Amino acid sequence: MTSALRIEDLTIRTADRILVSGFSATVGRGEPLTLLGESGSGKSLVAQAIMGTLPPGLLASGRILFDGADLLCLDEVARRSLWGRRIGLLPQEPWTALDPTMRAGGQLAEVHRYVHGRHDADGLAAAGLGEVGLADAGGHYPFQMSGGMCQRLALAIAHAADTPLLLADEPSKGLDGVLRADVVARLQREIAAGRLLLTITHDVALARVLGGTACVMLDGQAVEAGPTVRLLNAPAHSYTRALIDADPSAWPPRTPREPGPSVIEAMGLAKAFGRRRLFTDLDVQVRAGEIVAVVGPSGSGKTTLGNILVGTERPDRGRVRRVPGAAPLGFQKLYQDPPAAFVPHQTMGRALDHLARRHGVDRERVEELLARLKLAPGLRKQRPGELSGGELQRFALARVLLLDPVFLFADEATSRLDPVNQMEVAGLLRESSEQDGLAILFVTHDTVMAERIADRSITLQQ
Amino acid sequence: MMLQMQDLAGTTPPRSDPWPISRRIGLGLLALLAAFALLGPVLVTADPARQDLSASLAPIGSDFLLGADHYGRSMLARLAYGARLSFGMALLTMLSAAAPGLLLGVLAAWRGGVTERALVALSDIVLALPGLLLVLLLLAFAPGHFLPLYLGLSLSLWVEFFRVARTTTARLLVEPRIEASRLLGFGTFYILRHQVLPEIAPLLLTLASFAMGTAILAISTLSAISVGLQPPTPELGSMIVELLPYYDEAPLTVLMPGILIFLLVLGLQLTARGGTVR
Repeated sequence: MTSALRIEDLTIRTADRILVSGFSATVGRGEPLTLLGESGSGKSLVAQAIMGTLPPGLLASGRILFDGADLLCLDEVARRSLWGRRIGLLPQEPWTALDPTMRAGGQLAEVHRYVHGRHDADGLAAAGLGEVGLADAGGHYPFQMSGGMCQRLALAIAHAADTPLLLADEPSKGLDGVLRADVVARLQREIAAGRLLLTITHDVALARVLGGTACVMLDGQAVEAGPTVRLLNAPAHSYTRALIDADPSAWPPRTPREPGPSVIEAMGLAKAFGRRRLFTDLDVQVRAGEIVAVVGPSGSGKTTLGNILVGTERPDRGRVRRVPGAAPLGFQKLYQDPPAAFVPHQTMGRALDHLARRHGVDRERVEELLARLKLAPGLRKQRPGELSGGELQRFALARVLLLDPVFLFADEATSRLDPVNQMEVAGLLRESSEQDGLAILFVTHDTVMAERIADRSITLQQ
Repeated sequence: MMLQMQDLAGTTPPRSDPWPISRRIGLGLLALLAAFALLGPVLVTADPARQDLSASLAPIGSDFLLGADHYGRSMLARLAYGARLSFGMALLTMLSAAAPGLLLGVLAAWRGGVTERALVALSDIVLALPGLLLVLLLLAFAPGHFLPLYLGLSLSLWVEFFRVARTTTARLLVEPRIEASRLLGFGTFYILRHQVLPEIAPLLLTLASFAMGTAILAISTLSAISVGLQPPTPELGSMIVELLPYYDEAPLTVLMPGILIFLLVLGLQLTARGGTVR
């Protein structure tokens, strides 16, 4: 009966700022809609307006037509009654959205039992788990499951809810190749079953395989919309082009070069957390000017390996040898979640001043470095919460480079950034390795990116 | 469980207001009471201990602005001195509980291991011992004196500060930004000064208000059961007990010290309410 979701002239504003303006789009059967854009472009707000979960203080105007009603006109009780029955959400980072006190089987069964009042909820749940390859994990709690398993459980729950409309928020974020393909296949199955699918992502490759219509958002406005294939093959807007070019598969490959002398060597490393063994007898060597990627599934010890090399964790066995004569502070790290690596109440300028004073670096050098990393002087007055992930990560790189490091451990340093910023930061890392001879250990779950950016890769197995 | 959406970049999340209306009212009330406690003894020339039996239980508004008690002592003077005593003692007790509490809390989280376990065990022992009992134990050595009362209260009140400082610091220490600071060559003192202290500071006002409220109530309770400060010291708790037999004749006079205690604690409780409202 429901044939479409129509969004007409949706505008979302705070008291003094327009966040999304005049957004219109349609999702039809077999015609999924994909919203592409960087974080802060307003694509998540559109989904929240559809769900009715806009944060307090935000006002939405326009029309969202679904099931013959305007969703924006419904009161909270009426909207809530749609959740799980007419509208379902596949949350971003499901491990934070799952109930940590409930076993996987129970979380799935309660959808059958309480939302739809189906008999034999447990039987249906067991079948649902089997379908996503979690047949043995029904008794596990979310914290006992890997990120990929949580994602599959969330998919099974979204499937069980069987809502005519499904919103998927960054379904491929943080997943490695195999898991990603799995998620894509499942989403395609939902489309084939006649459900309306609206996907929010900045993953161009995901949009391509989902097909349907795509809409590119920038600063709260749809800058370009149309059939996905045509839009991605012949982008008209410069931002769409930048977005496509920023996909790691489109990056130029690294030119082979002669690496310098070895900067850090580790021999016979072994590390275990409790009974879970991460790696044994692992040898790693990184040479000056070389980028070594570390790839592997989540939980395989990629970050731990990097931490051992920079010295913030100790191996159970084996040893790390740094190049003789290198300063102790020459071994640095870039963090996955940029805001977490900065003091929230300190302006960037203050943080840099403190660092410069601590190490006796003169102001000119700081300014020079900021200019090289394309950080405008005005940003010095900002606090970490007011900057984008890309700007913060460049500041993180700036403060690291001030210390003239010989080795840098980049821990998923680009994974939380949108594609354009990701490419920029990755480019800066590459530049540092080429110009300054910095040795970089680049940890990533993205094998395509590893191939493009690194001279060679180390693969860790589960 | 499927109703959360993150990634709200572009909008500022609703930030908690450190100065909600309740806190402003509380601080205003405290300012008035502090003015009364500080200026009262200076402006009111009457001696709180001078007896005038002919004016026994004089009503409000007669020769005495707030009347007189059964010995004919000025209630206004006694209340002002009582407020100063309660306020002053509570402030002193709170300060001497906060300083070691905070230092030990940060130290425990920072050092971990045996240091932390020993300090936590110590704080648990103090916590398991009812606060008043600890004060009574110390008071047994020197009944009616100020020092054991003050020591006993500080010894039971530092635990709150210790626990909050320790958990806040422990939560911070696992965050990447502390590790990042260390890797960038910053020392322990810098990290404490610029990263740990600013996180604990906002909680201090709440903790301090609670501690002072507890101290005021404990001092007046102990004086009321005649183990704290002894008459004729103008102490609010003992004033209530002294006046209680004359409740029939001068009910308002009996209530006055109670109302003053109530206002003091109310002001502190309102101040303690931080900006956790959404």
